[in-house]
Amino acid sequence: MIAVLVCLLVMLALQLLTPFWWWVMIVPFAYGAAAARSGWKALRTGFLAAGLLWLGASAYLFLTGSRTIAERMAAMFGLGSSWLMVLATGLVAGLAAAFSAYAGYAVRALFKGTPRKGAAS
Amino acid sequence: MRWFRAVVSLLIAAAVFWGLDNRQGMVPPLGKLVNPFAGFWQNGTRDDTPPPALVVPGLRDEVRVAWDGRHVPHIFARNDHDLYMAQGYISARLRLWQMEFQLLYSAGRVSEVVGPMGLEQDRYNRRFGMVWAAENSLRKLREDEKTREAMEAYLAGVNAYIRSLGPKDLPVEYKILDYRPEPWTDLKCALLLKTMAYMLTAYHRDALLTVMRDALGEAIAEALFPYDAPLVDPVIPRGTAWAFTPVPLPAKAPETETKAGASADEISPSGDPGAFPPIGTQPGPGIGSNNWAVSGRLTKSGFPILCNDMHLGLTLPAIWYEVQLTSPGLNVRGVSFPGAPLVVAGYNKDVAWGYTNGTDDVLDWYAVKFKDGTRGEYLYDGGWRKTSVREETIKIRGGQTVVDKVIYTHHGPVVRLPGEPGALNIPVDCALRWLGHDASNEFLALAGLNRAKNYDDYLKAVESWDCPAQNIVFADREGTIALWHQGRYPLRRKGQGRFILDGSNPADDWLGWVPRAHNPFLKNPGRGFVSSANQPATDSRYPYYLGADYGPYERGARINEILAAAKGVTPADMIRMQRDVLDIRARAVLPRLLGLIRPATMTDAETKSLDELRAWNFEARAASVAPTVFDAFWDELNALTWRDEKKGDMKVMPTPSSEVMVDLIVNRPGSEYFDDKATEARETLADIASKAFRTTVSGLEKEWGPCGPAWRWGRTKGTRIGHLARVPGLGREKLEADGSGHTINAIGVSWAPSWRMVVELGPELKAWGIFPGGQSGNPGSKYYDDMVDDWLAGKPDVLVFLDSPDAPDPAIVARTTLRGGK
Repeated sequence: MIAVLVCLLVMLALQLLTPFWWWVMIVPFAYGAAAARSGWKALRTGFLAAGLLWLGASAYLFLTGSRTIAERMAAMFGLGSSWLMVLATGLVAGLAAAFSAYAGYAVRALFKGTPRKGAAS
Repeated sequence: MRWFRAVVSLLIAAAVFWGLDNRQGMVPPLGKLVNPFAGFWQNGTRDDTPPPALVVPGLRDEVRVAWDGRHVPHIFARNDHDLYMAQGYISARLRLWQMEFQLLYSAGRVSEVVGPMGLEQDRYNRRFGMVWAAENSLRKLREDEKTREAMEAYLAGVNAYIRSLGPKDLPVEYKILDYRPEPWTDLKCALLLKTMAYMLTAYHRDALLTVMRDALGEAIAEALFPYDAPLVDPVIPRGTAWAFTPVPLPAKAPETETKAGASADEISPSGDPGAFPPIGTQPGPGIGSNNWAVSGRLTKSGFPILCNDMHLGLTLPAIWYEVQLTSPGLNVRGVSFPGAPLVVAGYNKDVAWGYTNGTDDVLDWYAVKFKDGTRGEYLYDGGWRKTSVREETIKIRGGQTVVDKVIYTHHGPVVRLPGEPGALNIPVDCALRWLGHDASNEFLALAGLNRAKNYDDYLKAVESWDCPAQNIVFADREGTIALWHQGRYPLRRKGQGRFILDGSNPADDWLGWVPRAHNPFLKNPGRGFVSSANQPATDSRYPYYLGADYGPYERGARINEILAAAKGVTPADMIRMQRDVLDIRARAVLPRLLGLIRPATMTDAETKSLDELRAWNFEARAASVAPTVFDAFWDELNALTWRDEKKGDMKVMPTPSSEVMVDLIVNRPGSEYFDDKATEARETLADIASKAFRTTVSGLEKEWGPCGPAWRWGRTKGTRIGHLARVPGLGREKLEADGSGHTINAIGVSWAPSWRMVVELGPELKAWGIFPGGQSGNPGSKYYDDMVDDWLAGKPDVLVFLDSPDAPDPAIVARTTLRGGK
């Protein structure tokens, strides 16, 4: 769970400082490559960290003035409810992060059998 | 195995990355778009509260802006440069995406954003010479110091705003379509004028009428498409005498063969019908607007009242935004186009003005005889002249760049070549002569109107108004009311340019210009009002030929009917009049038609429909069934009457305008046009009416179910305000509204009053206004479409007019100070 939190905070900081969406793929990849103990853990950590970050951020914005735009985007995508837009946002980040965290782990596994000692998990 | 896993998972991750980072066809780049930190989530309502201070580098002095509760900026500057710069900055803040996109479209550059699907439209707009037209005008706009300074300050303001935008601040459409704004230029300002000129003057059916005339003969063409139509109450009352000596016209041109490029086979679409240009891009007929001014003699207050509602295509973001512009010597309020400086229609403390489309013919086609297939030379005045070529480079997102070499004769560009598919009204191998191509400076007219204090100022200002020709209504607080049918009109023989002209015959060229002072106008007429609604400007006593495809007669006749009986008029009466929905066409024809429909064996739906029509008070109300039945019945009646008149090379029979049809029904029911040529028997109006009624009712049943509330006019008409780029979810659908295209309150399906205004001049300036949308272009803002419901209901808002930026007006909800630096 600490890994989830660390990933989330690192991504949050990078996202606040830069406009790039792809930190939710880069950071989980780095985590998978540097610290994950298994592919499954990498995938889960990436999914939760990025998914919760985007879910939380979009829920916050939804409640503080972005409800109308969410409704319109939901209509554009053919989603029935604007809350589904919050869910979809979390899901997009979660899935993207999961794939990339797993890829990070899989690449690292080519070079090492196990993660280095003391890595958080 | 590990290698395999690593490679596969990397590839998947890379594919996910690429998929989320790029637009897939028209599917937005999801990763960018839903990113809560920079995507659409950032386009919420936070801009709805303007900040107390903004830095706009380039401002010379402080500019104060007061925002009223409808999000209208009231801009107070200490010099004109700062005023127009602030206007540019603020209009970009409100509408940047719309400003840019509508001009990308006009410039034939929409493929750069939407990809290959935009190519045909882009090619058409390039061929039409839109940018060429803008370049021609730009030279003139730059020559005049006043308009150059206004444009340059305006574009500096827009660019200051663009530079201030981080990725997360971009309007949401940029995020959906995945591109970035480019710097604003004065060419774009010029192009905006040409875009309006196109929208209001580019309706034409010269090619269709040419084929019709050749097939049916001149007499029938003249009878069905008359120059001086029955029932029409012209803008300038019938019988008005003209005090000038008209410029003499050369005799009729020697007859020449003009069918070179205009034979029906070549005009017909080959291959993909209607793909060039796409359906819906041609301006429609009878493009409508109303305006009138009532003299103080007829008003309760004793001061004049001016009213205007300009009918344009319904879009979100709305075509207009409201603004008040103030600098030393200037305090004007009204509506403006996002993308150019100045107020277009509005009022100041002394005068008010507004527009309806003049609807004159300033677009002609010339059949060109080329020497050979290279189209390098064409026949003119007995010799060969060289053409010129303008290369149009169309960049296509995700595709190859297309270079289109457009051929120009001295008339103008050749829009369509043989073998190219196209709409029926775009003739092949014909050169386009369009007034919009000529240099003009309408900004100068606007600058004059913004500052006008009296009739003389107005008159001087509108001298610069060339295209699109408009009925510019005027009133001042001294009590003058006036209307100039203003524009630059080519000098032509009667009917010249109605049909395709001979491009090789100099006598068919435009022969000069109608002198400005000879333009039709009305000032302080005895009847106490001036009005216009796109009907012909004059009767046939007017010595010049200005065109023949005017709007139908109904709105103009209804306006004059109401005003002729007006006394002690108040602004409330005028607001009510703007939402008048009495259908005088129905009132004219139904009494006769209802007597002709034979109720021998009637279905339930037919009985009910007939009862609805019989009980109808002729008001086109959203909740009534009768307008639905009448509208469909009228179309069917026209189809049955005119379709079978088609002969020879004609692909379609153009429908004569409603006044011709009403006149036939009321005054000539025995006309042989009612006979269906396809049958042996000789049909009468009664046969046709009965048949049309049957077809109408069964058609409505099929489409809307059993006769009843499901047939209510608001529902079957189905008004919609689509998003400018047709992004689903960003428009308003299924609006139920009173009115129809030919009632004063002309809310149609997607064409409607785009700005309603009522101004009472006098010691206390009073004004009301509303438009179908909202001030903000941001779909996430509460100001995006907040006026739509009141607009539908015909309830305009009180317009706030400030004397100073600090005026303690309860309607002001925020104040912003703009400064050049910190």
